[in-house]
Amino acid sequence: MTAKLNLTLKVWRQVHAKAKGEFKTYKVHDISPDMSFLEMLDELNNELIRKGEEPVAFDHDCREGICGTCGMMINGQAHGPERLTTTCQLHMRKFKNGDTIVIEPWRARAFPVLRDLVVDRGSFDRIQQAGGYTSINVGNAPDGNSVPIPKTQADPAFASATCLGCGACVAACKNASAMLFVGAKVSQFALLPQGQPERAQRALSMVAQMDEEAFGNCTNTYECEAACPVGISVDNIARLNREYIRASVCSNVMP
Amino acid sequence: MKLDARIPSGPLDAKWDHCKNEMKLVSPTNKRKFDIIVVGTGLAGASAAASLAELGYNVKAFCFQDSPRRAHSIAAQGGINAAKNYQNDGDSVYRLFYETVKGGDFRSREANVYRLASVSGNIIDQCVAQGVPFAREYGGTLANRTFGGVQVSRTFYARGQTGQQLLLGAYGSMNRQIQLGRVKMFPRREMLDLVMVDGVARGIVVRNLVTGEYETHAAHAVLLCTGGYGNAYYLATYAKGSNVTAAWRCYKRGAAFANLCYTQIHPTCIPVTGDHQSKLTLMSESLRNDGRVWVPKNPGDLRSPNEVPDTDRDYYLERRYPSYGNMVPRDVASRAAKERCDSGYGVGSSAKAVYLDFSDAIKRDGVASIKAKYGNLFDMYAKITDEDPYASPMRIYPAIHYTMGGLWVDYNLESTIPGLFVLGEANFSDHGANRLGASALMQGLADGYFVAPYTVGHHLASRKLAKVGTDHPAFKETMYNAKDRVEKILKVNGKRTSDSFHRELGITLWDYVGMARNEAGLKKAMEKIRTLRDEFWQNVKVLGTGDSFNQNLEHAGRVADFLEFGELLARDALTRNESCGGHFREEYQTPDNDTLRDDTNFQHVAAWEYTGEGKEPIRNVEPLTFDEVKPIQRSYV
Amino acid sequence: MNWLRKVLVSSIGKKVQMGISGLLLCGFLVAHLGGNLLLFVPDGGKAYNEYAHALHTQKLLLPVAEIGLVVLFAWHLLLALTTNKDNADARPVGYALQCSKQEPGPIAKPASSVMMATGAVVFLFLILHLADFRFELRNHGSEGEEPFAKAARLLKDPITCVGYIIGTLVLGYHVLHGFQSAFQSLGLNHPKYTPLIKQASFAFAILVGAGFASLPLWFGMISRH
Repeated sequence: MTAKLNLTLKVWRQVHAKAKGEFKTYKVHDISPDMSFLEMLDELNNELIRKGEEPVAFDHDCREGICGTCGMMINGQAHGPERLTTTCQLHMRKFKNGDTIVIEPWRARAFPVLRDLVVDRGSFDRIQQAGGYTSINVGNAPDGNSVPIPKTQADPAFASATCLGCGACVAACKNASAMLFVGAKVSQFALLPQGQPERAQRALSMVAQMDEEAFGNCTNTYECEAACPVGISVDNIARLNREYIRASVCSNVMP
Repeated sequence: MKLDARIPSGPLDAKWDHCKNEMKLVSPTNKRKFDIIVVGTGLAGASAAASLAELGYNVKAFCFQDSPRRAHSIAAQGGINAAKNYQNDGDSVYRLFYETVKGGDFRSREANVYRLASVSGNIIDQCVAQGVPFAREYGGTLANRTFGGVQVSRTFYARGQTGQQLLLGAYGSMNRQIQLGRVKMFPRREMLDLVMVDGVARGIVVRNLVTGEYETHAAHAVLLCTGGYGNAYYLATYAKGSNVTAAWRCYKRGAAFANLCYTQIHPTCIPVTGDHQSKLTLMSESLRNDGRVWVPKNPGDLRSPNEVPDTDRDYYLERRYPSYGNMVPRDVASRAAKERCDSGYGVGSSAKAVYLDFSDAIKRDGVASIKAKYGNLFDMYAKITDEDPYASPMRIYPAIHYTMGGLWVDYNLESTIPGLFVLGEANFSDHGANRLGASALMQGLADGYFVAPYTVGHHLASRKLAKVGTDHPAFKETMYNAKDRVEKILKVNGKRTSDSFHRELGITLWDYVGMARNEAGLKKAMEKIRTLRDEFWQNVKVLGTGDSFNQNLEHAGRVADFLEFGELLARDALTRNESCGGHFREEYQTPDNDTLRDDTNFQHVAAWEYTGEGKEPIRNVEPLTFDEVKPIQRSYV
Repeated sequence: MNWLRKVLVSSIGKKVQMGISGLLLCGFLVAHLGGNLLLFVPDGGKAYNEYAHALHTQKLLLPVAEIGLVVLFAWHLLLALTTNKDNADARPVGYALQCSKQEPGPIAKPASSVMMATGAVVFLFLILHLADFRFELRNHGSEGEEPFAKAARLLKDPITCVGYIIGTLVLGYHVLHGFQSAFQSLGLNHPKYTPLIKQASFAFAILVGAGFASLPLWFGMISRH
């Protein structure tokens, strides 16, 4: 059993989307190293409520690293210092007694702050709505084994499909670009036979929506890949570029 | 209250076809005149919203999360069952049906389960067509694994993230309909009440969680796909936001709540480390395919697990259930772990854990092979516990994971309130007293893709539904009721956090309505919950205002409902004087400590009817008949 | 042709143009370096002079090439400025603290994050270079001076010498990221070839940086020619 931690937290507080926010400093005591980062924030919030101060708002849900709801900048890093880890799976044993931790919301024009550490990631949903699917109605599906998909093709499609939609890629990118997110979704379908019928339209529509949401441009610094809690590779961005060129130059679909 | 299950006539394997042929249809041009509300966007909700919109209805979908893609179906790991018999190992629709009824300890409806089994194959086809990247063999065909409680390989999977991939598939289908304008999505909305007009469900009241505004929405049918109530126990494998509020408010509007006591305890969860813990994490039971469960033979053996020689280990599942071994159903595995720990053989600092050992599998198949199968689960374990599961055995302990009980529905998935349909985990229908692994995803998607689109249409076509808009007085009245309740919570201004009430409720339920229950304990639990509920309304402290983004207020509202719900849960367990599946009453057990059913007196569904604030609810009964399957004492020995 | 306009102004369209213009400029660098290295041929400047005269006798090709280069460069610059503005707009409120999560590795990593800065230095160097060699705005030589003598004289100037060494090394650093990044932007990514492209980018950066810097270093500091 490691010793308990006493920490100083500098947390971004902002009452609503249009309010001016500021950092507030809080102290938390006797934090168990076995706690998750969010449990540490729970502890802070319970203390704040007891003192009559409004608790810090932060998004979270499954707390097992799969739903993609949680996410914050912890000491300047998306989801904190551990690679391949969501905020809810970050444990306090990664910090030292006496540490000061700066906690900020994701920052991007396409992710407006709603309150404290909570941002609106509706832009991601709208990008998905623009084409992140195959257009097949229920009842039309052929037998699952009718089209063989070799494991060597299914596995990379799966790897792209594991994106949580948490937004860490945008948050960590110096340009607030959403290319890794869009690249992952476009790749999943570009790699599978099911995705072929709408392949060109999908790439064009999703990129157009991405641009409309005012994300930044990719400048290939690959910070997104390092920040991604599930390790989505920047190969997906190259594939997105390729798909977009192919769709705009070679296909007969109009952008 | 009359419970008419509306089970179609005819032989078991023809009932669903028969039903479909008899159901009334809405003509294609008329479909656009009907509005349908779907609450919850997990597998059941998203698939229902997408399929109903594909048919041409106007759908409004609601979820409390920031995006429909985050519903907790996403956390399901292991897989989804389907009777495809791709492995040529003797699987069939009948066998899946039989094993589900048997696994459910003969407390489910035969007709429902058979329908579930018969559409299971279509689900796989649909998901593959959506681009769900299921695991494949090198030759390109779909891969399968085996799961607890069955003797064939029928589980389709996408590594340890099957729920995620299936949900993203359904979310994609729904997105397509959003883009086409047929589904309107309302995220960050919490359903606070059901609006009834002339005894029919005609709308809902929701609170916009960002602005705090109350909104009313009218429709011709309401589909509740809001998941299970396991978070009543506080420590559970559910998402933190999962709650019973929507279902509970429907109960109070007249929907019967059935079989609450059937709660599933999942055997392979990561043990509790301390009081700070906010949730429990499950690891897929597929781990039991290769892991061996054991405890030391000598109680209080303090040696590290790798130092305990085989002769001093008790592989208790293999010892007690030689034919199924580590693959016994979840309820059996969970109770066996509890039994060992209660007898003093538990391991770890809390002594509330057993070992799940992969050393034999690693020796046999190599680290790489184990990594390929379970890599993400091992990583998850290492992250949470800071221990390396490749080097020493995992420690596991059961935790609340799924609830088989839920709102009562008939064969058409319609509750006792006309026009209110309940899908997925939120209903009680298909799993009986215990759910088999990889069947939850199957049921959610079966309900949403293949059942509700027909039965909701039947409701719309066969009933005369007056034109009702949100200007109808019932909407305003219901909204004010919901608002009053929220304001009441804010006004208490006591001393305790809602979180502390939730924790205390959870401890009470776990201690008395957990893995093993008895009459005295259940009575005590009801008493304690009542006291706690009274204290809540006098001493809870919620800061902030109702007209803002206020997570503390959201949580307090959910806890308030859990405090009412918890008592009914205990009451249901108290009145079911038998043991079956996830409901284990210590008074009713076999000499080997297994469940002892009482088919003479309890071969029925218990559906609770609300009678008013402070009044005792009525226990209605729907008898279960078994024509195809003869109820036997479940045996996995 | 509305579709073409849409493609060209899209985020990926701009990246693709950035990559193409960058690679074309890399091509120019290779040709330019090839000619320049003739300065090292130990024949008293004969080879270099011949090369320079041959180049200048191209009455049609040379102006076309020059205009082409100006357009190419302006294109590259304009894309950089517009994307940079888009990128700044994409995050109106910055972080109080931001740290990389990438493994601290070879120098290639930071190169990607300072492309605007290195680009600006290269731009300044280019102005100096054109002012000296193309427009002869300072350090005027004598009438009829041979190209070799002109180069040797100009590179002896201390400001030019130091400026050129810095400018060419920064140019190398710029293409270190730029070269491989162009392949990524064009979608030319492959598990077999991408590692080779990365190595080639490294080699190319050294070639460009060291190749060009060797001239001011030799003529300005070592050679007593």
